[in-house]
Amino acid sequence: MSAALGHLRVLEVGSGVAAAYGTKLLADLGAQVIKVEPPGRGDATRARGPFPGNVPHAEKSGLFLYLNANKRGMTLDLARPRGREVLECLAARADLLVHNVHPSEMAAHGLDYERFAAANPALVMTSIAPFGVSGPHASYRGPDVVTWNAGGVATLNGEPARPDLPPLKAFGDQSGFQAGLNAAIGSLGALFARLSSGRGEHVEVSTQECLAAILELTFEFWPYCGLTASRLGAKPIQPLCFMECRDGWIFLCCVEEHQWKSLVDIMGNPEWASMDIFADRLSRGANFDALQIFLAECCREWSVNELYEAAQRRRVPLAPVSTMGDLLASPHLRARGFFATLEHPVAGGVTLPGAPYRLAATPWTLRSPAPCLGQHTAEVLAEIGVDAGALAREGVV
Amino acid sequence: MARRAPLAGLRVADFTWVWAGPFCTLQLAHLGAEVIRVETATRPCVTRLLPPFADFEPGPNRSGYFNQYNQGKKSIALDLKRPEAIEAAKRLCAASDIVVENFAAGVMDRMGLGWEVLHGLRPDLVMIALSGYGATGPDSDKVSYGPAQVPLSGMSSVTGYRGFPPMHVGISYGDPTGGLHGAVALLAALIHRAHTGQGQYIDLSQWETSMAVLPEAIAAWTMNGAAPERDGNRDPDMAPHGVFRAAGEDRWVAVAVGDDAAWARFAAVIGQPELAADPRYATAAARKRNEDALEEVVTAWAATHSPEDVTETLQAAGVAAFTAATNHDLADDPHLNARGFFVELPHPVVGTRKHVGVPWRMSESDCRVRRAAPCLGADTDQVLRDVCGYTDAEVARLRDAQALV
Repeated sequence: MSAALGHLRVLEVGSGVAAAYGTKLLADLGAQVIKVEPPGRGDATRARGPFPGNVPHAEKSGLFLYLNANKRGMTLDLARPRGREVLECLAARADLLVHNVHPSEMAAHGLDYERFAAANPALVMTSIAPFGVSGPHASYRGPDVVTWNAGGVATLNGEPARPDLPPLKAFGDQSGFQAGLNAAIGSLGALFARLSSGRGEHVEVSTQECLAAILELTFEFWPYCGLTASRLGAKPIQPLCFMECRDGWIFLCCVEEHQWKSLVDIMGNPEWASMDIFADRLSRGANFDALQIFLAECCREWSVNELYEAAQRRRVPLAPVSTMGDLLASPHLRARGFFATLEHPVAGGVTLPGAPYRLAATPWTLRSPAPCLGQHTAEVLAEIGVDAGALAREGVV
Repeated sequence: MARRAPLAGLRVADFTWVWAGPFCTLQLAHLGAEVIRVETATRPCVTRLLPPFADFEPGPNRSGYFNQYNQGKKSIALDLKRPEAIEAAKRLCAASDIVVENFAAGVMDRMGLGWEVLHGLRPDLVMIALSGYGATGPDSDKVSYGPAQVPLSGMSSVTGYRGFPPMHVGISYGDPTGGLHGAVALLAALIHRAHTGQGQYIDLSQWETSMAVLPEAIAAWTMNGAAPERDGNRDPDMAPHGVFRAAGEDRWVAVAVGDDAAWARFAAVIGQPELAADPRYATAAARKRNEDALEEVVTAWAATHSPEDVTETLQAAGVAAFTAATNHDLADDPHLNARGFFVELPHPVVGTRKHVGVPWRMSESDCRVRRAAPCLGADTDQVLRDVCGYTDAEVARLRDAQALV
């Protein structure tokens, strides 16, 4: 079996999640990715936990190890002219360059598509920026909490009964993951186009737009109805809610009437369930204050797994509120071999999420752990005929 | 020279519904593939039946939900309970490069449209199944709905206000995440096919794609046996980092101070430059230790300004901030409008409405929304004739057999 993207040579100038996840998606399908990091501290993710024993160490960040497996790594100081020259040499023999250097700093880092394309017209360059590389807000800064709000997702999440609590972001740098996914799609689209045109191009990804594109049904409430979506509105249908069982939390999910009837049956057909105020999904939504008291009482009788399995046997799509421990212990995920353990020379064995999809002919693979800072600098430079020793003496690598 | 779309000439037989699958094929439509949605009025896509309906008037072609995520696609009405319709679907698949489906596991097989059959008809076919739990494993026959993926994935257990129960994230996040991963896998498979001529089958589990974006929480567990605590909008390293009340009714603004230099700039902007050197706040570690008091400082200032003012003032000083934007804010956002992000194409039933466009731009390729979402069955006759090879008389017979509803 072969790799889908085994022939692709990719350069990543990334810090944080977005560019690194975009190229990870390609690396895991075989692309040869060289990650370029600034000398000294490297990618900011190296300073970001979790770390074993909660002790920070540049080679032991769980996030970094996840995002950068299957890549080679080199250091290069792009603030220096010599560093930018080396980057140009590398770009001259690459198929794709992905970066998330802020637009205001692209020129200073030598990230100039026209210049690269003059030497290598087949190069695809993908620029990820929080607000895109052009437009009135292109200079704006945006870590996840800012872009998640700017894209309109945060305002959809909150506690309806607690208007004093702010719009709430999701765990982790989800803006970065969404931008990385879009960057991979735009990049692969450009690489596919190149198969017939022979020419590369510049792809630009706006994180804010990636998020404004995933607002489910809420964006259109304005153009279609003149309504503003809010985290404070009650859900129109119920139950779609979290409930506490004996040993943890479960998510009740009854969209269709037959699902609700099955759930009531599983709960032993309590008398309250036949009340008119719970007759259909809209009534249950309107009378959720009362409904949740009854449901809470029922759920306390069950363990999460008993209720989940009982509901699923009746085709009711309940789900457990999985803890990380639940995920690692799941017989299903174990049978599918989802979690992957990789041995890293400094961090040791680390277990992380594995294949997000199974391509029958060209499988997702884990070939090498994330690079130590500068691990492949000399090797990569030798490939372009540059003496690493001289660059090191100048402090460029 | 005319700009060419990356996937021009490629055809997608789209058996998906609700959000994850249609979001996957939307990406392919953006890139110029001819995406043909197979639908039936006997069981329309859930999103055709959900609000928002244009001007509050329900109707299968009036939903903004459907019309957003099916832009640029065609629609063929086929009642797959009829054998004649299955035959037409087979012809469609045989004439397609890609088949995408997100039915429950086994449904395509039972309809006679499984991988073995379709691969036999079209040896270089690329087919993807986007299911909740994946095609194999002991839970593969479980049922999964979008909202349930967020808790199942582990996301809910680490998302929420401190001291509160697990929470949602405001959207069925597993759907777009699954759909985008699916598009990545399909594009990689297409590139492989272009080099080798080989098609393949792809099994995507939304549960797994949802965990692929939670490495920090998962690694915290596998490394240290402890998952992160739910901590609202706070960050383990940065402070202040949150969404703060601004002036106006229920108006909020996100602010993130990345380092000590940004903190000094923030302190200057709010007219309290002395806070830069204040030992309670001078370093990130100190700000994390005194985060409750720190957030009061931010709130006291932000609450007297509109979120737009906060954004403009802080961003001008190099401090990250933005309004907690609503759908209305986004639709009117000067930046997004200046960038041409929104799409306004005529739709035969709802007229011209604002929709969200493509989140990336390509300097050479023709990448865009090509047409408004289709009405149910709008392209039935054209697809049956031009793609499936039926004559007009045969199309009429299919219609008489009730296969085209």
